[in-house]
Amino acid sequence: MAFQVSLGENAAAVASDTKIELKNVNFFYGGFQGLRDISLKIPEKQVTAFIGPSGCGKSTLLRTLNRMYSLYPGQRAEGEILFNGENVLDPKHDLNALRGAIGMVFQKPTPFPMSIYDNIAFGVKLYESLSKSEMDDRVEWALNKAALWNEAKDKLTQSGLSLSGGQQQRLCIARGIAVKPEVLLLDEPTSALDPISTARIEELVSELRKDYTIVIVTHNMQQAARVSQHTAYMYLGELIEFTPTAQIFVKPKDRRTEDYITGRFG
Amino acid sequence: MSHSNSFARQDAIFARVTQFFALIVLATLVGIIATLVIGSWQTLTQTGPKFFVSDVWDPVRSLFGGMAPLWGTLITATIALIVGVPLSFGIAIFLTEMCPPALKRPLGTAVELLAAIPSIIYGMWGLFILTPLIASIQPTLTATLGKIPLIGVIFQGPPMGIGVLTAGLILSVMVIPFIAAVMRDVFDTTPAILKESAYGLGATTWEVVWNVVLPYTKTGVIGGIMLGLGRALGETMAVTFVIGNAYNISMKLFEPGNSIASSLANEFNEASDPAHLSALITLGLTLFALSFVVLALSRWLLSSLTAKEGKRT
Repeated sequence: MAFQVSLGENAAAVASDTKIELKNVNFFYGGFQGLRDISLKIPEKQVTAFIGPSGCGKSTLLRTLNRMYSLYPGQRAEGEILFNGENVLDPKHDLNALRGAIGMVFQKPTPFPMSIYDNIAFGVKLYESLSKSEMDDRVEWALNKAALWNEAKDKLTQSGLSLSGGQQQRLCIARGIAVKPEVLLLDEPTSALDPISTARIEELVSELRKDYTIVIVTHNMQQAARVSQHTAYMYLGELIEFTPTAQIFVKPKDRRTEDYITGRFG
Repeated sequence: MSHSNSFARQDAIFARVTQFFALIVLATLVGIIATLVIGSWQTLTQTGPKFFVSDVWDPVRSLFGGMAPLWGTLITATIALIVGVPLSFGIAIFLTEMCPPALKRPLGTAVELLAAIPSIIYGMWGLFILTPLIASIQPTLTATLGKIPLIGVIFQGPPMGIGVLTAGLILSVMVIPFIAAVMRDVFDTTPAILKESAYGLGATTWEVVWNVVLPYTKTGVIGGIMLGLGRALGETMAVTFVIGNAYNISMKLFEPGNSIASSLANEFNEASDPAHLSALITLGLTLFALSFVVLALSRWLLSSLTAKEGKRT
């Protein structure tokens, strides 16, 4: 009765340097502990997937990596998250530079209320002052990277909201790439998209991993199997298992992981 | 069958009743315009367009020109918005983006309570507190800012504390709660992930508010400003106390002036001459027309902003 997940050709893990290292990370929403003692190493230029049931803390974990939680009073993280050797949880760490280096894409497409061109240029302008032609090149480059250039090149001056849902999500990815980050955090990026748009985003993720370290949170185990090289299974704020994707779906070490991926989870 | 018939009948009655309520609004509007036009007919036919360009208001000689109160209305409302909008914007940003949760409720309520203070209280506060204060700092302002070429003239005038600037400042305090409360409410409607997307790119709070929240909520923000402008244009009591009620057109903000609403309130009782009465009603009609112009301008502003943000197909 073993539930079979089709592993993509991506699933084979390759040895790689660590890009982000979490050491004993605990996270609190006021008095509630959302993450318990998480330690893991996110490998460079590979796709790492966080899976687990709703409320297990996978999105919370993602949001500690760029300190997005710090927008909200009462939320705090303890422990160490080393990114390029520096602890990003240190309050003295430059938050804006951190977020320039770690881009994020959300559950729903979030184009800004401005033109497609300006959506891309917005982030770039925060870090660099480019001439008009340099900016044009950057916009084209980012849209190309996000596989959106052919569809969007004739309507750069139109509102970002005029695109379809899948295109909007690729616009958000392009927007993240345009500031030249090292890491991309994807928080259930396809949960609001149809299957065809989902497939295109997954292709894009596989393509982007050549240049970026990608962390993806997903509800969809098939998706984790298709796009990731490493998978972390989380449950009730704990990291249960973190192994190469090929291994976790075929031969999980922990009984709880097995229950979840075989669908026996209650 | 009969059941569905009674359903249809009920709906039809309901539609008629609500339609009737909506039509009352239209009828009232038409009625007010008609009354104003009839009342101002004498001035409109006898003085004609000259009424709007003449600044002579002399009931004794029965000469009436509406320029001065019109000017005063526009100037005080402009001052109110120049001072009030940035302050309201700051209040709204603080309340929605940066305020500690424990302070959010008390501060928000305080802003709303500011709107509940009767205008006569604002007028008295203006006369007894703000006027002496302005009078005491005015010589310094005139001696410093008043020396600046071109714009220096607006800081000149007699050091009485009563005048157009004081009226404008009172109005700004009165419009702040309206504008700030609307801005806060519409800023709160911005989806959290839209703001997080901008924060996630490394934008500062200011960059997020200015480039994302404000464009996203522009309809509501402009609506809030128009609400405040409407109050500033029509406010009577508080303005009457501090504006000086002098028919006077001047760039000097410390000089007394007059506003349309203020002259109506002051002179209606003593207007025994039909020409005087008609001139006052013409002022009322002007204020009414002004509100329409303001509304039309805000629509135009909104559509040009939408066009700037890119076409939606």
